[in-house]
Amino acid sequence: MMAEVKGAGSVSAPTSGRFAAFSFVDRITAIEGVQQAKGVYTIPHDVTYFPVSLVAEALGQLAAWVAMSTCDFLRRPVAALAGDTRIHSYPKAGDTLELHVDIDSCDRDSIAYRGRATIGGKLVLELLDTLGSNLDTEIFDSPEALATDFSTLIGAGRQPGCFAGVPLPAVTVSSHDAGRRIDAMLDIPQDAAYFLDHFPRRPVFPATLLLDAQLQLARKIIADMTGYQTPLQVTRITNVKVRAFTSPGATLGIFAEASSPSEADPEPILIKVGALAGTRTIAAAKIFFAPESRE
Amino acid sequence: MAEAVISKEEIMAVFPTVQNTVADALGCDVDDIKLDVSLIEGLDAESIDFLDLIFRLERAFKIKVPRGKIIEDVRGEMAVEDFEQNGILTEKGLTRLREYLSEIPDSRFKTPMRVDQIARLYTPETFCKLVIRAQRSQAAG
Repeated sequence: MMAEVKGAGSVSAPTSGRFAAFSFVDRITAIEGVQQAKGVYTIPHDVTYFPVSLVAEALGQLAAWVAMSTCDFLRRPVAALAGDTRIHSYPKAGDTLELHVDIDSCDRDSIAYRGRATIGGKLVLELLDTLGSNLDTEIFDSPEALATDFSTLIGAGRQPGCFAGVPLPAVTVSSHDAGRRIDAMLDIPQDAAYFLDHFPRRPVFPATLLLDAQLQLARKIIADMTGYQTPLQVTRITNVKVRAFTSPGATLGIFAEASSPSEADPEPILIKVGALAGTRTIAAAKIFFAPESRE
Repeated sequence: MAEAVISKEEIMAVFPTVQNTVADALGCDVDDIKLDVSLIEGLDAESIDFLDLIFRLERAFKIKVPRGKIIEDVRGEMAVEDFEQNGILTEKGLTRLREYLSEIPDSRFKTPMRVDQIARLYTPETFCKLVIRAQRSQAAG
């Protein structure tokens, strides 16, 4: 049984920089060894743009806190593989995400976990088959500072509202074969608040923001498609893999291409997306779309 | 106890599935996945790809492979300090590595060799043998 973590009165946190600009757990409410954890995160009321990929980020961060706490914060999950992400609904500003992760394994080198996020008990997003590489924390952040942050999270919690939003991805379309394929350049900002938090010692463009940029490209292909009575929405993202770190100021080539789902896939539309640094593929995913449910 | 030799027949029996799994993990054509191609130097694999590959092999073969299993198996019962010092393989450690990765030509082993360079040697055959060892271990209970 999970131990409930009780705290009274949240702790004020800085509104920018580390433990603020790209941190999506306000409080860890229950934790059971290295097996399970629960937490909460409230999307600030004034945030106008909260990509659904940040819900997956929140679950990944909760799992990361658990993983780090088992090794004195000397190792931390960084790169990730998300085998199967299911999107059930979209959160909005002011919503409080209830986060739950089940950790299947965690050792020095890697973590395997599943997670789900709900709002008022209603399922928003599920993460299945997620893997992360555990790397030396010292490269990215201060283990001591992370230990302090963790104490805050399992205690009174962090003051909600620290997230000031992320800019829309700077995507420049270079070619567009309507309904089939789009190629574009994605300019990573040189300066963005999230780099102060992700990560303080080595800024890395968050994989979940890269996925959001790719998702926007996929939606452009969907916008070309006609013949559906109801709007198409993302239901599932599979085979997400990020193979390299992207630094501030970099430019990536990104693409989205319509493909054929396999017979086992329930959705009618599959868009494959990828990212390249030069000619090297550094990220890929499959995004499935289906007509919006009218339930 | 010495490990029973892994025969070429055993390797070729699992290779087609390993080949497809490697192709899926690396996003390349199945035809590019030769038994002896270096996954890092020949197919641009990254460390995250090995994590992905092992996860996929576990599913494909219904086996369990602890992370870091290859290095752990190479070292066997050898004490860590006998195997490597400051991240560099000792002479005994390098000999053990050559025995374990017997599918790799001698010319690809460097001296001195860092532990974090071992993965550069891996080929699809390395993972075929990993699968066979896991299957044997599972069958032995």
